[in-house]
Amino acid sequence: MSELRFEALNHVELANVNASFGAGTHVVVGSERDGSGTLLALAAGLLPPAAGRVLLDGVAPWSHARTRGRIASLCATESLLPARDVARSLGLALRARGDARSALSVLDRAGIAHFAAQRVSALAPREARAIALSLALSHPQPALLALHEPLSTAGILEQDFVLKTLSERSAAGAIVLCTANRLEDAARLGGNASALERGLWLGSGQARPPLGTFTLRVHTPEPRRLAARLSEAPDVSGVEWTGTRELLVHGSELEHLARSVVANARAEAIRITALKPDAPALEALAAARAGLAQAYYERARGDGPRDDARSRS
Amino acid sequence: MNGVRIGWALARERLRGASAPLVLFLSCAAVFAIGALERQSDAQSAPDDALSGAVFGLALPLLAYLLSERVCEGQRLERSVDAIARYGTDRRAALLGVLLASAVCTAFASALLTIAALLGAHAPHSASLLGDLRASVGIALIAGAVYALYFGAASLLGKRGGGRKWALIIDFVLGAGGSALAVPWPRGHVRNLLGGVPVVDLSQSSAWLALLAIGIACVALSVLRTAK
Repeated sequence: MSELRFEALNHVELANVNASFGAGTHVVVGSERDGSGTLLALAAGLLPPAAGRVLLDGVAPWSHARTRGRIASLCATESLLPARDVARSLGLALRARGDARSALSVLDRAGIAHFAAQRVSALAPREARAIALSLALSHPQPALLALHEPLSTAGILEQDFVLKTLSERSAAGAIVLCTANRLEDAARLGGNASALERGLWLGSGQARPPLGTFTLRVHTPEPRRLAARLSEAPDVSGVEWTGTRELLVHGSELEHLARSVVANARAEAIRITALKPDAPALEALAAARAGLAQAYYERARGDGPRDDARSRS
Repeated sequence: MNGVRIGWALARERLRGASAPLVLFLSCAAVFAIGALERQSDAQSAPDDALSGAVFGLALPLLAYLLSERVCEGQRLERSVDAIARYGTDRRAALLGVLLASAVCTAFASALLTIAALLGAHAPHSASLLGDLRASVGIALIAGAVYALYFGAASLLGKRGGGRKWALIIDFVLGAGGSALAVPWPRGHVRNLLGGVPVVDLSQSSAWLALLAIGIACVALSVLRTAK
């Protein structure tokens, strides 16, 4: 089973991204300005990270040709390889990949065979992206599909074809890592959602919060902007975005946490439509109870710090 | 081996088009005219003057520079193969293919420039033309290839391969002398092969070896400074 890891990754917009992805579909919501394009280029081994590491199955794709051969990618801006026409350009790319298929068969499968005889220099940027996407989706056995805005080629490539191929690859054990600027596209792509906001990584809402913390569910029309603001607030230990309009905000004290959320939302003029505490996890309750028992025990023995015990109780 | 072939194919596609042959044709016409003018002023020294001045002193370094710029698409050498490396091609192998294509094309252009200059500098049906051609075309081939590799290695420097420009200037300035400062640059050794002032009194056979060493060092540097 393949695994993609970002370890303390810093590069241009990206600030200390730590994340890992297993097989399946993962969608990162964010615009190019947030660093989504850079993240995918790094994942595909097209750029060397300025700091930190990008590892696919423990190997850095930037410096390992065979690993790059297992990656199919679509960048924010695509320019096809230089050639007289699209078929020759794709033919060169297929040769570089070690793929014996013809360019025409790849284009035909994606329903865009009419581009085959077109001059590469005459292609519009969206057409070049659509052709690059058809090439990426034609990869026979990818370990990773790193695709920037794969649904933005609608109108040239059939959306059903893209979604069906991605779901097949995902089911076959590949990591499908896509970015989407629009929530609708993220919802269509499905899978685990996470986000980038001005280079800050907002992990998936399915991640389990650490023990002994409180969680607030905050509903807002601007979840990413609020998440970015809260991630810098001192009372907030963590922010997760569920991929919808809901944020999960973690902190050690419920009252301070709620005050901090409201104050930060007010400072950024962000509307909050709902704010409710989340029921603590059973592990957290058990840990709190164990901590309380430990404090009573230490106080009874007379060797524990009394103030600490009192504050815990 | 496949990576070298892919790199070669990439360089070939980048050189495709009318502009490269047109520039070569115009350069050949210019050196032919310079050779003919030199013959008018002094027929005896015209071939030497045309070769050491117009061809190897000016046209060849400039053409090699322009060709290197085109083959690298105005980028750093190792980044110029990113377009194919993303599909799993080894960057080093692809880079060797690009350098090979660049060296072959520059050597060919250099030979054509030499032939054009000698045709202009010699009187028609001159008895010494064939002998001059035989001696000079070999020098042109190796000088062209070494200049291509030299500019290729220089393209490893600078954000967008700006080292090429500096390599051109340094070759013009430092290579023009005969001191130890001229040893690492191709210009002085090519001049030595043409019968000009040697660099640190090296013999002509040593100049061949020096050019060979510069070429090999440039290839090794290019490969070693590139990630797989």
